[in-house]
This record gives sequence, C-alpha cells and structure tokens, in this order.
Amino acid sequence: MRRKKLNALISGVILMTFLLCGVPAWGQTPSQPTTSTQATPAPSLTTALPVKEANPPSADQMAKGDPSGSMTGTVNDVTVSNPKVGLTLADTLNQVGQNKVAINFVWTLITGFLVMFMQAGFAAVETGLCRAKNANHTMMMNFMVYGFGLFAYWVCGFALQMGGAAGVSSLGGAAPLSGEFALHIAGKSWGLFGTHGFFLTQGGTYDVAVMVLFLFEMVFMDTAATIVTGGCAERWKFAAFAVSSVFLGAITYPLFANWAWGGGWLYALGSNYGLGSGYADFAGSGVVHAVGGLSALACAIIVGPRIGKYNRDGSSNAIPGHDITMVLIGCFILAFGWFGFNPGSTLGASGALRISTIAVDTMLAGATGSFGAVFYMWVRYGKPDASMGGNGLLAGLVAITAPSGFVNTISAAIIGLIAGVLVCLSVEFIDRIARIDDPVGAISVHGTCGLWGVISVGLFADGTGVGSVKGLFYGEPSQLIAQLIGVVTLLGCIFTLTFVANLVIDYFIGQRVSPESELEGLDIPEMGAVGYPEFVLKMQGAGAAA
Amino acid sequence: MKFFGLLLAVCGWLLPVAGLTWTSSLGVRFVLCLIGIGLCLTGILGFLNRAYMKEAIWKK
Repeated sequence: MRRKKLNALISGVILMTFLLCGVPAWGQTPSQPTTSTQATPAPSLTTALPVKEANPPSADQMAKGDPSGSMTGTVNDVTVSNPKVGLTLADTLNQVGQNKVAINFVWTLITGFLVMFMQAGFAAVETGLCRAKNANHTMMMNFMVYGFGLFAYWVCGFALQMGGAAGVSSLGGAAPLSGEFALHIAGKSWGLFGTHGFFLTQGGTYDVAVMVLFLFEMVFMDTAATIVTGGCAERWKFAAFAVSSVFLGAITYPLFANWAWGGGWLYALGSNYGLGSGYADFAGSGVVHAVGGLSALACAIIVGPRIGKYNRDGSSNAIPGHDITMVLIGCFILAFGWFGFNPGSTLGASGALRISTIAVDTMLAGATGSFGAVFYMWVRYGKPDASMGGNGLLAGLVAITAPSGFVNTISAAIIGLIAGVLVCLSVEFIDRIARIDDPVGAISVHGTCGLWGVISVGLFADGTGVGSVKGLFYGEPSQLIAQLIGVVTLLGCIFTLTFVANLVIDYFIGQRVSPESELEGLDIPEMGAVGYPEFVLKMQGAGAAA
Repeated sequence: MKFFGLLLAVCGWLLPVAGLTWTSSLGVRFVLCLIGIGLCLTGILGFLNRAYMKEAIWKK
C-alpha cells in the first residue's frame, strides 16, 4: 500500500516536472508563457532594470579597444532619463521607438539625397541631347530649376501638398500637418489642398518629422520641374523658364500631389467610392513624371518647334545632340538616383522590408525598358540607337515608379519592356504626326510612360505590396477605374492648368527667344557666355543651319 | 480652336469625375473614363496643337 502511494507520488512529481518544463520545450510554442512568467508581476515602467545581468563591458575593457565590435552598442549606450534611478523599462521602450524613427529618418534622408543627385543626371542627359551652341543655357536651366523650385516649394508648395498629410507613422506622425481644405459634395469629402506648413513654420510645422518629409518631397517636385526644361530646350527664354518653374513648384505639382499623396480626393476614391485602394501611385509615375511630361507638352506647344526642325512640307529633320557619352552617363546617374526614388518612397526601412522588392523591380524595369527600345530601333532602323537606348532605360524606370511598391518582378519586367517600346512609338508620334518639337523626348519618356505606369498599377498590382493594392489581373477591376481617373485628371486638369499659366507668362514675358538668338545659339544671348569657349563649333546639317 | 481644345480637355476630365456621383456601376465608370481620356487627347492634340501648328514657324 505504502509502495503504491510512493509510486503514485513519484509518478505525480515526474508528470508535474514534465508538464512544467518538458512540454513547452517540446512543442516549441514560445507564444505560451511558462507558469513562472505568469506568476511574476510585470516590472513597473519606472523601476530600475537589473542591468548587470546584461554583462555590459567595463570602462577598462572598452579602453583596450573593440576590434570585433562585440562590445560596442550595448546596454551602456541606452539613454537613461534619470541617472539616480538607473535604466528603466520606460527608457528602454523610448529608445526602441527613437531607434525605429531614427532608422526611418536616415533612410528617407539618404534616399532623398540620391533623388537630389538625379538633377545632375537630368542636366547631363538634356545638355548632351542639345547642340553645343546651347550647352550653357540648357545646363543652367537644369541647374537653376533646383533653386527656383525649392524656393517656391518652401514658400507654399509643400503646404499645399502635404499640409493635411499628418499620420506618417514611420516618421513619428508629423502631427502638425493637420490642415486640409476639403469640399463636401454629395456627402463625401473632397480634399483639395493643404493649409499647414507655409515657410515650414506656419501651423506648428517647425518639426523634425516635417523637415524630413519636406526634403524628400521637395526633391521629387524638382524632378518634375526639371523635366519641362528638356521639352523646351534650345528656344526657351530663361526668364520665362524661371517663372514657369516657380509656378510648377508652387501650384501645379503640389495640387496633384495633394490629391494623390496628401490625403486629397484621388487618394480617397477607395474609401469614398469603393474604387479599390483609391488612386495608387507609389513613387510618382503620375505625380512626378506625368505632371512633368504634360507640363513639357503644354510648354512645347506654346513655345513651338525649333527653327530647322520641320521643313515647309511638314517633314521633320533630326537634330542630333552634341555629346552621346554625356547622355548615357546621365542616364546611369538617373538609374542610380532611382534607387532613392522608389525604395525611398516607403518613408522608412524599419517595418518596411518591401524595399528589397521595390529596388529589384526598379532595376529590372529599367533594364527591360532599354531592351525594348534598343530592340525596337534595331528592328525598325537597322541600328541599336544609343539615345533611344538611354530613353528606353528611363522609360522603364518612369513606368515602374508608380507600381514598384505593388508588383512582383515578372510584372515589373513586363511593365518596363512595354515602356521601352512605347517610348519609341511615342517619340515618332510626337515628332512626325503631332509635330511637337521635343529635343530630348521628355514628353514621351515622362508623359506617355508616366501615364502607362499609372495604368499598370490598375493591371498588375498583386495585393502583397504596400497597402495591399490589387489590380485587374488579380481580381480587383475597380482599382483600374481609380487609376484611369488619375490619368484623365492629369490630362484634363493638370495639363490645362499648366497651359493657361504658361499662356499668361507668354503674354507678359514671352516664352520664345528671338530667331536671331536661336540661330546664334542661346549661350551668348541668354547667358552671356558659351558652354565651350575653347572649341570652334562646326556648323553642319539642318539643325546647325538653323 | 485653342479655347475649344482646352474646353474639350476640361470636359474630358469632368465627365468621369462627375460620373462617380451618378453611377456605381464599374462598367459605366470605365466607359466614362475612356470617353474622358479620348476627349482630353482630342482637345489637346486634335484642336489645341493643330491651332498652334497653323501659325508654326516652319510654315512662315
């Protein structure tokens, strides 16, 4: 009897031990807390933590150096709010939050710096595709658009665009950006423009998160502004360019960007009218490139073609650029900057690991874009044209800008390939049928392929990316409608606004230089110095004769 | 011609946007979008640009 009781007791102890220790270890279910954890009360946020258990390195150890890196970045580096109490759980949690936002700040700023460097790429591409006699003028337009655009955007552009875009959680909220002017139509709110952030001080916007957002959004706006200079190169009056760029940075770009990214009515098409996730434009095929490309179209129509571009019968003459090496180096700089443009649009790296897919999508679409363009030119004209190869690369990058956050790599490759062929067809249409003179192909690369990028979101978005946006091919046809409404807004509203504004500029300042200045080259008449003073420029062909 | 081209482009924009409040049918909205894009392109390239081409520098 006693033996039975002893056996039962031993069995019970073994069973209890097994249950307490063995089962959780066997089952590998870390979500189930152990009994001891359940019994221990959670430490108070302000109670000092047992830091010694973390084995921080001593001052003596640190003084000997840390070649392996194992002693640097320990509990010693966590900021303590009250040295008398020591490190608390509250300190630790604050440090975690600070680290997350700091990672996102650094990521967003560095990618913004990459995008800023794209200005150099645009300058090289556009100047290389123009004639040597206009090199100084073209380079200076690309150089000064940075300053003109930045100033206008600081004064009011940023406020109109992002003034109501609070809730950027990756950057700590940007809470001061809380003013959006909206109309209420048929019970729905139609956000039109922001009202906080003029001069980056009004409305409490002297704020670190707002500054990060400003820098990143500013370089995007400047990309749009610099596209226009390419479409109107070699005949645009510098003063008109300056005013036009200020208008784009202050009004045109911020308006559409607010509608798409600042919480405006396009963004709300999903919640208001059930159109998928609303207008989705991850990094700006529409917001940046189509706005820039359509502004280039508006200005190019007003300014008119260069002398010598078209014959009396309407046939066009090719006016080759003066430095194809500069063009292709510029394209590479742009492709490099695009790694800031698209992956940076997550506005953070912590908790946004999709950046890897976005970066690969970006490089793939650029590559297939150049394939498409080179292949098209090879088949059609017998030679793999270098400038169109460069434009194909840019076309692929432009097209993938909107869908990069939403599509897989196969879709990215297809989108880029289509853009590469599309840019060639568009250049031919603009040049020969519409007879609009676009020296660098800005309208086709950024306008046409920007619109294609917007549409491609509505087709290829697979629902696994940012915001779970899903397109037609993945079972959500309404997303395509939202994208098409974005396209028609760009064509009907943004183009018209830009056109009317530039018409006013034409009336007061005049958009086009005199024929004498154009024939001489704009470097001396407009800028007062030639781009290549030690070279004798050889005049030949229709372009030079002009 | 220039004014008409711009007017057509604006109408092309307003048509699908206004259509959002008229109907919830995806098919109708899709058709309105296509008509809107067509109107915009006709206004810009068919009327506005053609009006400018009439006084183009290479015709003088």
